[in-house]
Amino acid sequence: MSRAFDWLDKRYGLTPLVDFLKHKEVPVGGHSMVWYYLGGTTLFFFASQVCTGLLLLLFYQPGEATAYESIRFITTKVPFGWLVRSLHCWSAHLMIVSLIVHMFSTFFLKAYRPPRELSWVTGFVLFMLALGFGFSGYLLPWNELAFFATSVGTDSMKAVPGIGDWLLQVLRGGTDVSAQTLYRFFALHVVALPLITVGLVGGHLLFIQRQGMAPAMGTHVARRGLRFFPDFLLRDLLLWLLCLILLATLAVSLPYGPGLPGVEWELGKKANPLAPAYPGIKPEWYFLWVYQLLKEFPPHILGMEGPQAAILLVSVMLGIWAAVPWLDRRAQRDESSTAFSDLGVAAILFVGYLTLKAWDIGGKGLKVPDTFAVARATSIITVIVAAAIFALRRFAYQHRFFLLSGAATLQIALHGFLRVSYLNAGIVSVLLIAAGFAYLRLRPGPSVPPRLGVAP
Amino acid sequence: MPDEGCPLKKKRSRRGFIDIMLGLGFMGSTASVVYPVLRYLKPLGPSGAQGPMKLTKEDQAKLEREHMLIVRSGTTRILVFEDGQQKLRALDARCTHEGCTVQFVPGESLIWCACHNGKFDLDGRVLSGPPPRPLAQYSCTREADGSLVVNTDRKKEEA
Ligand code: HEM
Ligand code: FES
Repeated sequence: MSRAFDWLDKRYGLTPLVDFLKHKEVPVGGHSMVWYYLGGTTLFFFASQVCTGLLLLLFYQPGEATAYESIRFITTKVPFGWLVRSLHCWSAHLMIVSLIVHMFSTFFLKAYRPPRELSWVTGFVLFMLALGFGFSGYLLPWNELAFFATSVGTDSMKAVPGIGDWLLQVLRGGTDVSAQTLYRFFALHVVALPLITVGLVGGHLLFIQRQGMAPAMGTHVARRGLRFFPDFLLRDLLLWLLCLILLATLAVSLPYGPGLPGVEWELGKKANPLAPAYPGIKPEWYFLWVYQLLKEFPPHILGMEGPQAAILLVSVMLGIWAAVPWLDRRAQRDESSTAFSDLGVAAILFVGYLTLKAWDIGGKGLKVPDTFAVARATSIITVIVAAAIFALRRFAYQHRFFLLSGAATLQIALHGFLRVSYLNAGIVSVLLIAAGFAYLRLRPGPSVPPRLGVAP
Repeated sequence: MPDEGCPLKKKRSRRGFIDIMLGLGFMGSTASVVYPVLRYLKPLGPSGAQGPMKLTKEDQAKLEREHMLIVRSGTTRILVFEDGQQKLRALDARCTHEGCTVQFVPGESLIWCACHNGKFDLDGRVLSGPPPRPLAQYSCTREADGSLVVNTDRKKEEA
């Protein structure tokens, strides 16, 4: 062992690297410790995707006459083929769950504040790429559900101003979803996206490596550090083992997913472009909020077609999310910025409500569920969650800023309890936000909320 | 580097010229890579027959059995159905909202898109739901020999 090390050390000078690893530390900041592991679990699930994806590739054949059949062959004939596919599907969902929690935890810890803006931005792009993985992989089995979900999902491309039609055709390889689309998505899914992702993960990790992890707000240097090697790494490995156990248990016991809409991968019928769409065509769960938003928009609004306006709104919101490091001025000065914590809560309520609604919770399992019953049942759930988060923030963290999450809750309550249309309720909420900010600006005294709510 | 002096100025302009040439060369080589790629990505135009389309025997049998049928002509999908008065009609089968394939609901004399619950009347006009535009109409005629022909290139005049 040490002979081999000497041999390599003489040639490549490893000693500085080892010294570096010996001294690398992770800040220990009380409660925030847990969140430092979520990037690692995301990486673990990505690695599983690469391994299981490679195995699927040995049998999968894209093509109108072969894609569906080859997946059928994998799951019914190839020994443990069902397991490999189940692992790939489960790990895809778990990776996105882990990624979302990771993103929100760095958001609430304000880990995006200088000098870590680019960690946030690369992370945001990685999130988009993960969504791209899910979207492109969904079509590969060439079954009915995937076919229609992809038709609807790609159609929103036409909303891009100017080049929308061109983009739509390039993505689909024609005016409609066809075998051409399958080839393009396959190339994206197994070559383009993995290469870009690996490159960006490299950048993301390099930035984090150079800067260390963000210490808790208000503490410039961590008082105490945990040695990265071996203490943190061993904990990480233990967690990966737990992730593997979780993944394997789920993949073995529910090989076709838990059966919730958007979280299932029963192969079903082969895609037939000449069959009419049927109710219950839904994209994967992480796209459901956009799907539901498209449904809430009327045919025409503000001189635009409904879908165009909805996609514009989603783009603006994602743009704001990506630019948060530059928008959050107080966090830049290392002051607590409860307004941005509130923005995060509002985002969770907004996206969460739409997702629950897309699940038709409270719809009593009807073919075409009663929209009012669904709106009411999902509003009750969301308002209870909002109240719990409010109580936690108000009393445990002494937050004082609730304008955005309050407005999001108001919209949900108006829509669910008073049957105001979703968009009109949204307009009321936006007016409330505008009035709130105007008040904060004009009010005598400090124009921004006082410095409260420093995380313990 | 000093800024004055005739020879230097000359040198600078020569340098500027080289810079411009280099820049142009760089842009040219980039364009010569990007343009073919963009053209490669853009799909080929629609292929296959357009114009009046005769339904096959199987299609016709299916239409009689299920009162509706979706056929493809070039890149369009067309919904052919039999309305209450035994009249044959044809509409574009692509929902104008997000492009799902619509269907005919015989019981309710309705064209329905299951994706977001869009509803159209039998002339393709939007009744409710999110679709922003009506479905295009095509004419469908029964020939003397009993076969059905869908006229795909000429849309029926708006009444
Ligand atoms: C190098 C990496 C990857 C390779 C080579 C790969 C390969 C494949 C192949 C061959 C399929 C078709 C088989 C099937 O549908 O079961 C597939 C499906 C799929 N992949 Fe991947 N994949 C990779 C990474 C990912 C990642 C990172 C994600 C998630 C974020 C993902 C999500 C999916 C999904 C959702 C499906 C559809 C599963 C289904 O319904 O059957 N893949 N992938
Ligand atoms: S695609 Fe037809 S209603 Fe949305």
